[in-house]
Amino acid sequence: MVVKKILYADPLECCGCRNCEIACSVAKEGIMNPHKSRIRVVREGPVIDMPIACRQCADPPCAKPCPTNALVKENDLVVLYEENCIGCGLCVEECPFGAIFIHPDKGTAIKCDQCGECLDFCPTGALKLVSTEAVAHEKRIDLAQTRVKVIEEWLLNSKDMAEK
Amino acid sequence: MDLGREKTVSQPLSSDMAKKFLGGNGFVTKILWDEVKPGLDPFDPENRLIFAIGPLSGTGWPQAGRFEVGAKSPLTGIYGDASCCGHWASELKFAGYDAIVFQGRASKPVYLWVDDDKVELKDAKDVWGKTTSETEKILREQHGKDVQVASCGPAGENLVRFAGILHQRRAAARSGIGAVMGSKKLKAVAVHGSKDVALADPEGFYKFSREIIELYKRDKFIESRAKYGTPILVELMNEIARWPVKNFQTGYTPHAKEIGGERIREEYRIKDRASFGCWARCEKPLMVKQGPYRRIYAKQPEYESLSALGARNWIHNLDVIIYANELCDEYGMDTISTGGTISWAIECYEKGIITKEDTGGLILSWGNTETLIELINKIAKREGFGNLLAEGSLRASKKIGKGSEKYVMHVKGMEIAAQDGRAQKSMGLAHATSSRGADHLKAFPLLDEVVMNEYIVARYGREYLPEMANRLDIKHKPFEVKDGEELCALCDSLLLCKSAGTSLPLFTGAVYYPEMAKAVKLATGMNIDASGMRTIGERIVNLQRAFNIREGISRKDDTLPSRFTEEPAPEGPPKGHVVELEQLLDEYYKLRGWDKETGLIPRKKLEALDLKDVADSLEAMGKLPR
Repeated sequence: MVVKKILYADPLECCGCRNCEIACSVAKEGIMNPHKSRIRVVREGPVIDMPIACRQCADPPCAKPCPTNALVKENDLVVLYEENCIGCGLCVEECPFGAIFIHPDKGTAIKCDQCGECLDFCPTGALKLVSTEAVAHEKRIDLAQTRVKVIEEWLLNSKDMAEK
Repeated sequence: MDLGREKTVSQPLSSDMAKKFLGGNGFVTKILWDEVKPGLDPFDPENRLIFAIGPLSGTGWPQAGRFEVGAKSPLTGIYGDASCCGHWASELKFAGYDAIVFQGRASKPVYLWVDDDKVELKDAKDVWGKTTSETEKILREQHGKDVQVASCGPAGENLVRFAGILHQRRAAARSGIGAVMGSKKLKAVAVHGSKDVALADPEGFYKFSREIIELYKRDKFIESRAKYGTPILVELMNEIARWPVKNFQTGYTPHAKEIGGERIREEYRIKDRASFGCWARCEKPLMVKQGPYRRIYAKQPEYESLSALGARNWIHNLDVIIYANELCDEYGMDTISTGGTISWAIECYEKGIITKEDTGGLILSWGNTETLIELINKIAKREGFGNLLAEGSLRASKKIGKGSEKYVMHVKGMEIAAQDGRAQKSMGLAHATSSRGADHLKAFPLLDEVVMNEYIVARYGREYLPEMANRLDIKHKPFEVKDGEELCALCDSLLLCKSAGTSLPLFTGAVYYPEMAKAVKLATGMNIDASGMRTIGERIVNLQRAFNIREGISRKDDTLPSRFTEEPAPEGPPKGHVVELEQLLDEYYKLRGWDKETGLIPRKKLEALDLKDVADSLEAMGKLPR
C-alpha cells in the first residue's frame, strides 16, 4: 500500500521565517545558503507564506525526461541518484512546483528527500510531514466546522424568528 | 558608493574594524566619526548613509534578522541610526557584504541594485514618488521575486525630518534617516545574494545555535511576542501609568483595552509573520472587517504606534490607528515622531498658542480622527501646516514661538517614545542619555518595568533588590541604564532583536555576554571573551557620545522636558512623582567615568577603550574636560 507523505504547510500558518530553509541547508551542506536548501519559502503579498519542497509525485514528471535515470520513483519517494545526474536541468523545467533545484556549485540537481530535519525548526508548527490522507482528513474536518458555524447561526436566527 | 561620481569601491572589511566594532551600529558609529565632519548639514551630500549588518546576519542564528542604517540625523543634528528586521539583512549577507556606505548626491533619482558581485546604480524614474510597498513591488517585478528591497517613501523624498526607511513594511524609522536617503536622491537598495555564509567553525556554530534555539522555544517572552506582538504591552503600561496620553499630560487612559493586544488578536489578526530566522514572529497582518477602512493590512501597529497615533492624540478607534499606521509606512515616516509632533500641535491649539491661521483652517482637537489622517497626508507631502510639522516638533515650535517650546516632548530634538519617565525613572534617564536623542531602545531598561526580580538576581545579584525592581526608586537606575546601553549597543552591532531575541539577555541573562562571545568566535574566529564583548559595547557608546560632543552636545543637552522634571504625574502609581534627573545624571556620569560638570569624556576613559585618536581629535577641539 502506498502511504504517500508530503511536506505540507498551511500558507496562513506559515510565518515565512525560513527556519526550514536554514535547517535544510545546514543539514545537507553544513552551511547556510538559501540556494542550497531543498525547501524554499515563497513570501507573497501581506499574508501568503508557502514552503515548497518536492511532493514525491506518484508519476513524477521530473523523472520522465531525465536522460540518465538519475531520478527514480522508489517506494513512496522520488529518489535522486546524484552520481547519475549530469545537470541538464530538464527536471527543473518539468517540475510543476519549482521544487527541484540545481546546486549552484556542483551544477547538478538537488531535491527534498523527506529527511524531516526541517520539521523541528518550524516555530509555528505549520510545517508537517503528513500523509495525503491526513491532509485530506483535516480538510474534511475544516469544511465540516465551517458548516457547523453556518448551521448554528441559522438555527439561532430561526429561534429569534420563532420568538418574534 | 559615491552617488555624485557614480563610482563604487568594494573593499574587504579590515580585521581591526571587525574586532573593535563587530558590525551594525558599531560600523555606523565608526564610519560616521571618521567621515562626517563636525557641523555638517545632514542634508549636505557629504553626509554618509550607512547600511550595515553583523557577523551573525544570514547565518540562521535566531533573532538576528535586523539591519542597521545610520547617518547624521536631520532631525537632531547629532548621531542618528535606526534598525529594521525582515529579510534584507540576510540577503545582503548572501550577496557577500557587511555594509554599504553611500556618500554624495545623485544628479537624478537612482536606486542601487546589488546582485552578488554585480553592483549597479539604476535610474529610479519608475519608482520615484511611489510609496514604499509600490516601490518594493515594482523592483521585485523588475529584478525577481526573491529580491529584497529597502526604500524611502515620498516622505523621505520630501525631506520630512523624521522619514524612515522601510522594508516589507518593517521600518528603520527613527532619526530621519529616510530623509537623508531622499536628500541623496537614493530611492532604494535592492539586493539579491546567492553565496554561502562563510563561518569559521560551521559545525560548532550550528551545534551551539541549536542549543540557543532550544532556549528560545521555551522562552515565555517569545511566546507572548508570538501570540500578540508588542501591542500586548499597551494595557500593562497603561496600568502602571507609563502610557503617554494627550502629549504626556497624563500616563493613563480608561480606553486602553480598546486598542490593546488582546482585542487586536481576537478581532483583527490574520496570521503571524516573521523575519529571517526569527522565532518570535511578532508581525501580524490584520483585517479590518467593516466600515470605511475595511481591507487587509500588512502589519499591526506596534505598541509604539498605538501610542503615538492613538492614545497620545486621544484616539481609541483601532480602525483609524491601523489605517494611520499603514499611511505612515507607505509614506515612510516614523510613527513615533509623526504622532508626537501632531500631539504637540494639538496641545498648543488647545492652549491657544496655535490657531486656525497657523493651521490653514484646520481645527485641531483631541480624538479628532479625520484631522490625524489629514495631517499625516499633509506632513508627508509637506503641504500647508504639514510643511511646518514635517520639520519635527522642536523646529516647528521654534517657528511658532509663543511658549510652544514648553510642550515639545523631546530630547535633543527627537520626540519621546511611549514611556513616561515619571512612571519608570530608569526610562526617564535613558531618554536623557540616549545617543540618538529621546529613545528607549538605546538602554532599554526593563528590569524595573514589572516584577523582574529573578532576572535582577540572575544578572546582578541579590544585593540589587529590592530597590532596582522599584520603578519609582532612583537607586541603582543609573547603573541599570549604563549597563543596558552597553548591552544594547552590542545587540545593535550583532543585529539581535531587542524586542524578542534579546529578551533573554535583557531579562534573564540566559543568552548573555559569554554566549554572544562564543557565537561570534564560532562565526568569525575572532577570539573576544565575554569582558571583551562588554568593552565593545562600551566603546560604541563612548564613540557615539564623542560624535555628539563634537557636534556641541554636553550635559546641558542631557535633559528632559519640564513636564517630566517639574510637573508631578497626575494619576496612577506614579502620582506625585517627577524624574529626579540631576541626581540620576550625577551618578550616571560617575559610573561612565565622564566629567560630571560637562558630560564630556576624559582622555583616560577614551584611551582605556582604545580610542586614543578620538581623544586627540576632541582635545584639538577643546572638547576634553578641563
